[in-house]
Amino acid sequence: MINDALSSLTLAQTGFPDSVAGVTLAHYLSVSAAMFTLGVIGFITRRNLIVMFLCTELMFQAAGIALIAFGRYHLNFDGQTFVIFVLCIAAAEAAMGLALIVLLFRKAESLSAGEWKELQG
Amino acid sequence: MEHLVHPLLLYLACLLGGLGIALALPRPRYKLALIGGLIAAAGGGLVVLMLSLKAYDTDPGALPNVFFYAFAAIALAAGLRVITHHRPVYSALYFILTIIATAGLFLLLSAEFMAFALIIIYAGAILITYLFVIMLATQAPAEGDEELQAEYDTTSREPWVAAGAGFVLLGILTTMMFRGVGELPAPAYEPDSEILAQLPGKVETILTNSDLRDAEDLLADGETLLRETDPETGESLGRLVIARSAEGHAQVIAVDDEGNERRLTLDHEFTPTNIERLGINLLRDHPMTIEIAGIILLMAMLGATVLARKQVEFEEALKAHEQRRLHDAKAEQTGAAEA
Repeated sequence: MINDALSSLTLAQTGFPDSVAGVTLAHYLSVSAAMFTLGVIGFITRRNLIVMFLCTELMFQAAGIALIAFGRYHLNFDGQTFVIFVLCIAAAEAAMGLALIVLLFRKAESLSAGEWKELQG
Repeated sequence: MEHLVHPLLLYLACLLGGLGIALALPRPRYKLALIGGLIAAAGGGLVVLMLSLKAYDTDPGALPNVFFYAFAAIALAAGLRVITHHRPVYSALYFILTIIATAGLFLLLSAEFMAFALIIIYAGAILITYLFVIMLATQAPAEGDEELQAEYDTTSREPWVAAGAGFVLLGILTTMMFRGVGELPAPAYEPDSEILAQLPGKVETILTNSDLRDAEDLLADGETLLRETDPETGESLGRLVIARSAEGHAQVIAVDDEGNERRLTLDHEFTPTNIERLGINLLRDHPMTIEIAGIILLMAMLGATVLARKQVEFEEALKAHEQRRLHDAKAEQTGAAEA
Protein backbone atom coordinates (compact mmCIF):
# COMPACT_ATOMS: atom_id res chain seq x y z
CA MET A 1 0.00 0.00 0.00
CA ILE A 2 2.67 2.47 1.04
CA ASN A 3 4.88 1.28 -1.78
CA ASP A 4 2.07 1.90 -4.26
CA ALA A 5 1.61 5.42 -2.94
CA LEU A 6 5.35 6.07 -3.11
CA SER A 7 5.71 4.75 -6.61
CA SER A 8 2.92 7.05 -7.81
CA LEU A 9 4.92 10.01 -6.50
CA THR A 10 8.01 9.38 -8.61
CA LEU A 11 8.91 11.95 -11.21
CA ALA A 12 8.60 11.53 -14.91
CA GLN A 13 11.80 9.55 -15.36
CA THR A 14 9.83 6.43 -14.51
CA GLY A 15 6.42 7.62 -15.68
CA PHE A 16 4.03 10.45 -14.99
CA PRO A 17 1.77 10.30 -11.95
CA ASP A 18 -1.86 10.82 -12.87
CA SER A 19 -2.15 14.30 -11.45
CA VAL A 20 0.64 15.53 -13.71
CA ALA A 21 -0.80 14.03 -16.86
CA GLY A 22 -3.28 15.91 -19.02
CA VAL A 23 -1.12 18.99 -19.48
CA THR A 24 -0.10 19.51 -23.06
CA LEU A 25 2.72 21.37 -24.73
CA ALA A 26 0.30 24.24 -25.39
CA HIS A 27 -0.20 24.82 -21.65
CA TYR A 28 3.50 25.33 -21.04
CA LEU A 29 3.92 27.46 -24.16
CA SER A 30 1.06 29.72 -23.11
CA VAL A 31 2.63 30.25 -19.67
CA SER A 32 5.90 31.02 -21.44
CA ALA A 33 4.19 33.47 -23.82
CA ALA A 34 2.37 35.24 -20.98
CA MET A 35 5.60 35.61 -19.01
CA PHE A 36 7.44 36.91 -22.06
CA THR A 37 4.67 39.47 -22.63
CA LEU A 38 4.94 40.62 -19.03
CA GLY A 39 8.68 41.09 -19.58
CA VAL A 40 8.15 43.09 -22.79
CA ILE A 41 5.53 45.35 -21.20
CA GLY A 42 7.75 45.93 -18.17
CA PHE A 43 10.75 46.70 -20.36
CA ILE A 44 8.79 49.30 -22.32
CA THR A 45 6.99 50.99 -19.45
CA ARG A 46 9.37 50.99 -16.50
CA ARG A 47 11.92 53.81 -16.36
CA ASN A 48 14.24 52.44 -13.69
CA LEU A 49 17.26 50.83 -15.39
CA ILE A 50 17.54 48.02 -12.84
CA VAL A 51 13.87 47.08 -13.22
CA MET A 52 14.30 47.14 -16.99
CA PHE A 53 17.13 44.61 -16.63
CA LEU A 54 14.94 42.50 -14.33
CA CYS A 55 12.34 42.47 -17.11
CA THR A 56 14.89 41.09 -19.58
CA GLU A 57 15.59 38.35 -17.04
CA LEU A 58 11.84 37.66 -16.99
CA MET A 59 12.00 37.20 -20.76
CA PHE A 60 14.97 34.80 -20.36
CA GLN A 61 12.87 32.75 -17.93
CA ALA A 62 10.02 32.57 -20.44
CA ALA A 63 12.43 31.39 -23.14
CA GLY A 64 13.75 28.76 -20.72
CA ILE A 65 10.28 27.36 -20.07
CA ALA A 66 9.59 27.14 -23.81
CA LEU A 67 12.95 25.44 -24.47
CA ILE A 68 12.47 22.81 -21.78
CA ALA A 69 8.85 22.17 -22.78
CA PHE A 70 9.88 21.63 -26.41
CA GLY A 71 12.76 19.41 -25.31
CA ARG A 72 10.28 17.34 -23.29
CA TYR A 73 7.93 17.18 -26.28
CA HIS A 74 10.59 15.98 -28.68
CA LEU A 75 12.15 13.74 -26.03
CA ASN A 76 15.69 14.99 -26.26
CA PHE A 77 17.97 16.98 -23.99
CA ASP A 78 18.91 19.82 -26.33
CA GLY A 79 16.30 22.05 -24.70
CA GLN A 80 17.76 21.54 -21.24
CA THR A 81 21.29 21.97 -22.56
CA PHE A 82 20.37 25.31 -24.08
CA VAL A 83 18.82 26.50 -20.84
CA ILE A 84 22.31 26.10 -19.37
CA PHE A 85 23.61 28.48 -22.02
CA VAL A 86 20.70 30.86 -21.40
CA LEU A 87 21.82 30.93 -17.76
CA CYS A 88 25.39 31.72 -18.89
CA ILE A 89 24.23 34.59 -21.08
CA ALA A 90 21.97 35.89 -18.30
CA ALA A 91 24.90 35.88 -15.88
CA ALA A 92 27.18 37.65 -18.36
CA GLU A 93 24.47 40.18 -19.17
CA ALA A 94 23.80 40.85 -15.49
CA ALA A 95 27.50 41.43 -14.80
CA MET A 96 28.01 43.82 -17.71
CA GLY A 97 24.66 45.58 -17.37
CA LEU A 98 25.01 46.15 -13.65
CA ALA A 99 28.59 47.43 -14.09
CA LEU A 100 27.29 49.96 -16.63
CA ILE A 101 24.43 50.94 -14.33
CA VAL A 102 26.81 51.53 -11.42
CA LEU A 103 29.01 53.62 -13.73
CA LEU A 104 26.03 55.72 -14.82
CA PHE A 105 24.81 56.09 -11.26
CA ARG A 106 28.19 57.46 -10.19
CA LYS A 107 28.04 59.98 -13.01
CA ALA A 108 24.38 61.04 -12.92
CA GLU A 109 23.23 60.09 -9.38
CA SER A 110 20.07 58.66 -10.91
CA LEU A 111 18.83 55.32 -12.25
CA SER A 112 16.41 56.84 -14.74
CA ALA A 113 16.61 55.50 -18.29
CA GLY A 114 16.21 59.12 -19.45
CA GLU A 115 19.80 59.78 -18.37
CA TRP A 116 21.04 57.86 -21.41
CA LYS A 117 19.55 60.48 -23.72
CA GLU A 118 22.85 62.24 -24.04
CA LEU A 119 24.74 59.24 -25.38
CA GLN A 120 26.31 59.96 -28.74
CA GLY A 121 27.03 57.95 -31.84
CA MET B 1 -8.78 22.02 -36.34
CA GLU B 2 -10.05 21.82 -32.79
CA HIS B 3 -9.14 24.65 -30.44
CA LEU B 4 -8.26 24.09 -26.80
CA VAL B 5 -9.88 27.41 -25.91
CA HIS B 6 -12.31 29.24 -28.18
CA PRO B 7 -10.41 32.14 -29.85
CA LEU B 8 -13.03 34.75 -28.86
CA LEU B 9 -12.76 33.77 -25.19
CA LEU B 10 -8.99 33.87 -25.52
CA TYR B 11 -9.17 37.40 -26.94
CA LEU B 12 -11.49 38.40 -24.09
CA ALA B 13 -9.00 36.99 -21.57
CA CYS B 14 -6.16 38.89 -23.27
CA LEU B 15 -8.25 42.09 -23.18
CA LEU B 16 -8.87 41.63 -19.44
CA GLY B 17 -5.20 40.88 -18.86
CA GLY B 18 -4.04 43.94 -20.81
CA LEU B 19 -6.56 46.19 -19.06
CA GLY B 20 -5.50 44.86 -15.68
CA ILE B 21 -1.80 45.35 -16.34
CA ALA B 22 -2.26 48.86 -17.75
CA LEU B 23 -4.14 49.76 -14.55
CA ALA B 24 -1.66 48.03 -12.28
CA LEU B 25 1.46 49.72 -13.68
CA PRO B 26 2.78 52.35 -11.27
CA ARG B 27 1.35 55.82 -11.63
CA PRO B 28 1.96 58.91 -9.53
CA ARG B 29 -1.30 59.56 -7.70
CA TYR B 30 -3.81 56.71 -7.81
CA LYS B 31 -2.70 53.28 -6.63
CA LEU B 32 -4.70 50.88 -8.78
CA ALA B 33 -2.41 47.86 -8.44
CA LEU B 34 -4.98 45.78 -6.56
CA ILE B 35 -7.86 46.46 -8.98
CA GLY B 36 -5.59 45.91 -11.98
CA GLY B 37 -4.25 42.69 -10.51
CA LEU B 38 -7.78 41.40 -9.91
CA ILE B 39 -8.83 42.18 -13.49
CA ALA B 40 -5.70 40.46 -14.87
CA ALA B 41 -6.36 37.47 -12.57
CA ALA B 42 -9.92 37.31 -13.92
CA GLY B 43 -8.44 37.04 -17.43
CA GLY B 44 -6.12 34.23 -16.34
CA GLY B 45 -8.92 32.51 -14.45
CA LEU B 46 -11.09 32.53 -17.57
CA VAL B 47 -8.41 30.65 -19.52
CA VAL B 48 -7.89 28.16 -16.67
CA LEU B 49 -11.66 27.58 -16.46
CA MET B 50 -11.94 26.91 -20.19
CA LEU B 51 -8.94 24.56 -20.08
CA SER B 52 -10.41 22.65 -17.13
CA LEU B 53 -13.79 22.31 -18.89
CA LYS B 54 -12.00 21.03 -21.96
CA ALA B 55 -10.04 18.52 -19.87
CA TYR B 56 -13.31 17.42 -18.24
CA ASP B 57 -14.88 16.88 -21.67
CA THR B 58 -12.08 14.61 -22.83
CA ASP B 59 -11.70 12.62 -19.59
CA PRO B 60 -14.27 13.26 -16.83
CA GLY B 61 -12.49 11.05 -14.32
CA ALA B 62 -9.11 12.78 -14.47
CA LEU B 63 -7.97 15.03 -11.65
CA PRO B 64 -7.29 18.61 -12.61
CA ASN B 65 -3.60 19.19 -12.91
CA VAL B 66 -3.10 21.05 -9.65
CA PHE B 67 0.68 21.34 -9.69
CA PHE B 68 0.90 22.87 -13.14
CA TYR B 69 -1.82 25.44 -12.50
CA ALA B 70 -0.45 26.34 -9.07
CA PHE B 71 3.11 26.89 -10.30
CA ALA B 72 1.96 28.76 -13.40
CA ALA B 73 -0.31 31.04 -11.34
CA ILE B 74 2.44 31.83 -8.82
CA ALA B 75 4.97 32.49 -11.58
CA LEU B 76 2.67 34.84 -13.51
CA ALA B 77 1.33 36.66 -10.44
CA ALA B 78 4.87 37.26 -9.17
CA GLY B 79 5.89 38.34 -12.67
CA LEU B 80 3.06 40.88 -12.63
CA ARG B 81 4.34 42.23 -9.33
CA VAL B 82 7.88 42.45 -10.76
CA ILE B 83 6.75 44.90 -13.41
CA THR B 84 4.20 46.79 -11.31
CA HIS B 85 5.91 47.27 -7.95
CA HIS B 86 7.24 50.79 -7.51
CA ARG B 87 10.14 49.73 -5.28
CA PRO B 88 12.97 47.98 -7.17
CA VAL B 89 13.97 45.84 -4.16
CA TYR B 90 10.49 44.31 -4.02
CA SER B 91 10.59 43.77 -7.78
CA ALA B 92 13.78 41.75 -7.35
CA LEU B 93 12.31 39.73 -4.47
CA TYR B 94 9.18 38.94 -6.48
CA PHE B 95 11.43 37.89 -9.34
CA ILE B 96 12.99 35.31 -7.01
CA LEU B 97 9.47 33.97 -6.41
CA THR B 98 8.96 33.74 -10.17
CA ILE B 99 12.18 31.75 -10.47
CA ILE B 100 11.17 29.31 -7.76
CA ALA B 101 7.77 28.74 -9.39
CA THR B 102 9.51 28.26 -12.76
CA ALA B 103 11.77 25.67 -11.15
CA GLY B 104 8.57 23.87 -10.11
CA LEU B 105 7.42 23.87 -13.75
CA PHE B 106 10.82 22.46 -14.77
CA LEU B 107 10.36 19.64 -12.25
CA LEU B 108 6.99 18.80 -13.80
CA LEU B 109 8.77 18.66 -17.17
CA SER B 110 11.23 16.15 -15.62
CA ALA B 111 14.18 18.52 -15.90
CA GLU B 112 15.37 18.00 -12.33
CA PHE B 113 18.92 19.22 -12.79
CA MET B 114 17.89 22.44 -14.49
CA ALA B 115 15.26 23.13 -11.81
CA PHE B 116 17.82 23.11 -9.03
CA ALA B 117 20.54 24.78 -11.11
CA LEU B 118 18.04 27.56 -11.79
CA ILE B 119 17.42 28.14 -8.10
CA ILE B 120 21.12 28.01 -7.24
CA ILE B 121 22.38 30.19 -10.08
CA TYR B 122 19.50 32.62 -10.56
CA ALA B 123 18.04 33.03 -7.10
CA GLY B 124 21.32 32.43 -5.36
CA ALA B 125 23.81 34.36 -7.47
CA ILE B 126 22.38 36.63 -10.15
CA LEU B 127 19.53 38.08 -8.10
CA ILE B 128 21.84 38.72 -5.14
CA THR B 129 24.02 40.81 -7.46
CA TYR B 130 20.90 42.73 -8.47
CA LEU B 131 19.95 43.29 -4.85
CA PHE B 132 23.45 44.58 -4.07
CA VAL B 133 23.34 47.05 -6.94
CA ILE B 134 19.82 48.19 -6.02
CA MET B 135 20.88 48.80 -2.45
CA LEU B 136 24.07 50.59 -3.57
CA ALA B 137 22.31 52.80 -6.05
CA THR B 138 19.02 53.76 -4.43
CA GLN B 139 18.17 55.46 -1.20
CA ALA B 140 15.13 53.77 0.28
CA PRO B 141 12.66 56.27 1.73
CA ALA B 142 10.97 55.50 5.00
CA GLU B 143 7.97 53.18 4.84
CA GLY B 144 4.87 54.93 3.51
CA ASP B 145 6.79 58.00 2.45
CA GLU B 146 5.73 57.95 -1.18
CA GLU B 147 6.71 61.54 -2.04
CA LEU B 148 10.39 60.88 -1.43
CA GLN B 149 10.53 58.13 -4.06
CA ALA B 150 12.24 58.89 -7.33
CA GLU B 151 9.87 60.06 -10.03
CA TYR B 152 11.15 57.42 -12.48
CA ASP B 153 10.01 54.66 -10.11
CA THR B 154 6.49 55.93 -9.56
CA THR B 155 5.60 56.89 -13.12
CA SER B 156 5.50 54.47 -16.01
CA ARG B 157 5.99 55.36 -19.63
CA GLU B 158 2.97 54.82 -21.94
CA PRO B 159 1.23 52.06 -19.93
CA TRP B 160 -1.80 51.78 -22.23
CA VAL B 161 0.14 51.55 -25.48
CA ALA B 162 2.61 49.03 -24.07
CA ALA B 163 -0.07 46.82 -22.48
CA GLY B 164 -2.14 46.97 -25.68
CA ALA B 165 0.79 46.01 -27.91
CA GLY B 166 1.93 43.29 -25.52
CA PHE B 167 -1.44 41.63 -25.24
CA VAL B 168 -2.16 41.77 -28.97
CA LEU B 169 1.10 39.81 -29.32
CA LEU B 170 0.01 37.40 -26.57
CA GLY B 171 -3.42 36.93 -28.18
CA ILE B 172 -1.90 36.00 -31.53
CA LEU B 173 0.68 33.67 -29.99
CA THR B 174 -1.76 31.79 -27.77
CA THR B 175 -4.38 31.43 -30.51
CA MET B 176 -1.74 29.74 -32.66
CA MET B 177 -0.60 27.53 -29.77
CA PHE B 178 -4.04 26.37 -28.70
CA ARG B 179 -4.82 25.18 -32.22
CA GLY B 180 -2.61 22.15 -31.89
CA VAL B 181 -2.82 20.14 -28.71
CA GLY B 182 0.60 18.48 -28.55
CA GLU B 183 0.24 15.79 -25.91
CA LEU B 184 3.49 15.31 -24.02
CA PRO B 185 4.49 11.70 -24.65
CA ALA B 186 5.62 9.44 -21.84
CA PRO B 187 9.36 9.86 -21.44
CA ALA B 188 11.30 7.38 -23.55
CA TYR B 189 14.52 9.17 -24.31
CA GLU B 190 17.53 7.52 -25.92
CA PRO B 191 17.68 3.83 -24.95
CA ASP B 192 19.39 3.27 -21.62
CA SER B 193 21.92 0.91 -23.19
CA GLU B 194 23.34 3.63 -25.43
CA ILE B 195 23.87 5.99 -22.51
CA LEU B 196 25.25 3.22 -20.29
CA ALA B 197 27.68 2.18 -23.02
CA GLN B 198 29.23 5.61 -22.55
CA LEU B 199 29.19 5.34 -18.78
CA PRO B 200 31.24 2.18 -18.19
CA GLY B 201 32.43 3.53 -14.85
CA LYS B 202 28.88 3.65 -13.50
CA VAL B 203 28.12 0.01 -14.31
CA GLU B 204 31.49 -1.07 -13.01
CA THR B 205 31.03 0.77 -9.73
CA ILE B 206 27.55 -0.58 -9.09
CA LEU B 207 28.68 -4.11 -9.96
CA THR B 208 31.70 -4.05 -7.67
CA ASN B 209 29.84 -2.27 -4.87
CA SER B 210 27.19 -4.99 -4.76
CA ASP B 211 29.10 -8.20 -4.18
CA LEU B 212 25.91 -10.18 -4.20
CA ARG B 213 24.93 -9.26 -7.72
CA ASP B 214 28.47 -9.64 -8.96
CA ALA B 215 29.16 -13.07 -7.47
CA GLU B 216 25.87 -14.90 -7.30
CA ASP B 217 23.04 -13.10 -9.07
CA LEU B 218 24.65 -12.40 -12.36
CA LEU B 219 27.59 -14.69 -12.92
CA ALA B 220 27.70 -18.47 -12.93
CA ASP B 221 30.82 -20.48 -12.05
CA GLY B 222 33.76 -19.76 -14.30
CA GLU B 223 32.11 -16.82 -16.01
CA THR B 224 33.70 -13.40 -16.34
CA LEU B 225 32.34 -10.19 -17.75
CA LEU B 226 33.36 -9.42 -21.31
CA ARG B 227 35.64 -6.41 -21.58
CA GLU B 228 36.55 -4.37 -24.60
CA THR B 229 39.85 -5.09 -26.29
CA ASP B 230 41.96 -2.90 -28.50
CA PRO B 231 41.21 -4.02 -32.09
CA GLU B 232 44.86 -3.59 -33.14
CA THR B 233 46.93 -4.96 -30.26
CA GLY B 234 44.33 -7.28 -28.74
CA GLU B 235 45.06 -5.93 -25.25
CA SER B 236 42.20 -5.55 -22.82
CA LEU B 237 40.97 -1.97 -22.42
CA GLY B 238 39.23 -2.85 -19.16
CA ARG B 239 35.83 -1.44 -20.16
CA LEU B 240 32.75 -3.59 -19.89
CA VAL B 241 30.87 -4.30 -23.12
CA ILE B 242 27.31 -3.00 -22.82
CA ALA B 243 24.82 -4.50 -25.25
CA ARG B 244 21.18 -3.84 -25.98
CA SER B 245 18.38 -6.39 -25.88
CA ALA B 246 15.58 -6.58 -28.43
CA GLU B 247 13.32 -4.68 -26.00
CA GLY B 248 15.93 -1.95 -25.58
CA HIS B 249 17.16 -2.96 -22.12
CA ALA B 250 20.82 -2.57 -21.29
CA GLN B 251 22.81 -5.79 -20.93
CA VAL B 252 26.31 -6.82 -20.00
CA ILE B 253 27.89 -9.85 -21.60
CA ALA B 254 29.36 -12.65 -19.48
CA VAL B 255 31.75 -15.20 -20.99
CA ASP B 256 32.74 -18.53 -19.47
CA ASP B 257 36.05 -20.35 -19.88
CA GLU B 258 35.07 -21.93 -23.20
CA GLY B 259 34.16 -18.54 -24.64
CA ASN B 260 30.37 -19.01 -24.56
CA GLU B 261 28.54 -15.71 -24.27
CA ARG B 262 25.57 -15.08 -22.00
CA ARG B 263 23.72 -11.77 -21.88
CA LEU B 264 22.70 -10.42 -18.48
CA THR B 265 19.99 -7.77 -18.39
CA LEU B 266 20.71 -4.87 -16.03
CA ASP B 267 17.88 -3.84 -13.74
CA HIS B 268 16.45 -0.37 -13.15
CA GLU B 269 19.22 0.54 -10.72
CA PHE B 270 21.36 1.09 -13.79
CA THR B 271 18.94 3.52 -15.45
CA PRO B 272 20.87 6.68 -16.31
CA THR B 273 19.68 9.68 -14.30
CA ASN B 274 18.60 13.03 -15.68
CA ILE B 275 21.95 14.60 -14.85
CA GLU B 276 23.91 11.83 -16.60
CA ARG B 277 21.82 12.13 -19.74
CA LEU B 278 22.11 15.92 -19.67
CA GLY B 279 25.87 15.74 -19.17
CA ILE B 280 26.28 13.36 -22.10
CA ASN B 281 24.12 15.56 -24.31
CA LEU B 282 26.11 18.63 -23.28
CA LEU B 283 29.55 17.15 -23.86
CA ARG B 284 28.82 14.92 -26.84
CA ASP B 285 26.54 17.15 -28.92
CA HIS B 286 27.45 20.71 -27.94
CA PRO B 287 31.17 20.89 -27.07
CA MET B 288 31.72 24.03 -29.17
CA THR B 289 28.90 25.86 -27.41
CA ILE B 290 30.59 25.25 -24.06
CA GLU B 291 33.72 26.96 -25.38
CA ILE B 292 31.68 29.91 -26.64
CA ALA B 293 29.85 30.20 -23.32
CA GLY B 294 33.19 30.14 -21.54
CA ILE B 295 34.55 32.95 -23.73
CA ILE B 296 31.39 35.02 -23.20
CA LEU B 297 31.63 34.63 -19.44
CA LEU B 298 35.34 35.50 -19.48
CA MET B 299 34.69 38.61 -21.57
CA ALA B 300 31.83 39.65 -19.26
CA MET B 301 34.07 39.24 -16.25
CA LEU B 302 36.88 41.26 -17.84
CA GLY B 303 34.42 43.87 -19.07
CA ALA B 304 32.78 44.34 -15.70
CA THR B 305 36.17 44.61 -13.99
CA VAL B 306 37.46 47.14 -16.52
CA LEU B 307 34.29 49.23 -16.36
CA ALA B 308 34.31 49.39 -12.59
CA ARG B 309 38.09 49.90 -12.31
CA LYS B 310 38.41 52.72 -14.82
CA GLN B 311 36.00 54.92 -12.94
CA VAL B 312 37.86 54.48 -9.67
CA GLU B 313 41.16 55.46 -11.30
CA PHE B 314 39.45 58.40 -12.91
CA GLU B 315 38.04 59.60 -9.60
CA GLU B 316 41.35 59.08 -7.84
CA ALA B 317 43.19 61.01 -10.53
CA LEU B 318 40.63 63.79 -10.27
CA LYS B 319 41.04 63.97 -6.50
CA ALA B 320 44.84 63.95 -6.75
CA HIS B 321 44.66 66.71 -9.36
CA GLU B 322 42.36 68.77 -7.14
CA GLN B 323 44.66 68.35 -4.16
CA ARG B 324 47.72 69.33 -6.17
CA ARG B 325 45.95 72.48 -7.36
CA LEU B 326 44.95 73.41 -3.83
CA HIS B 327 48.49 72.75 -2.65
CA ASP B 328 49.96 74.91 -5.42
CA ALA B 329 47.50 77.71 -4.71
CA LYS B 330 48.40 77.61 -1.03
CA ALA B 331 52.11 77.64 -1.86
CA GLU B 332 51.59 80.64 -4.14
CA GLN B 333 49.65 82.46 -1.44
CA THR B 334 52.31 81.84 1.19
CA GLY B 335 54.97 82.82 -1.35
CA ALA B 336 53.14 86.08 -2.10
CA ALA B 337 52.69 86.77 1.63
CA GLU B 338 56.40 86.20 2.27
CA ALA B 339 57.35 88.46 -0.61
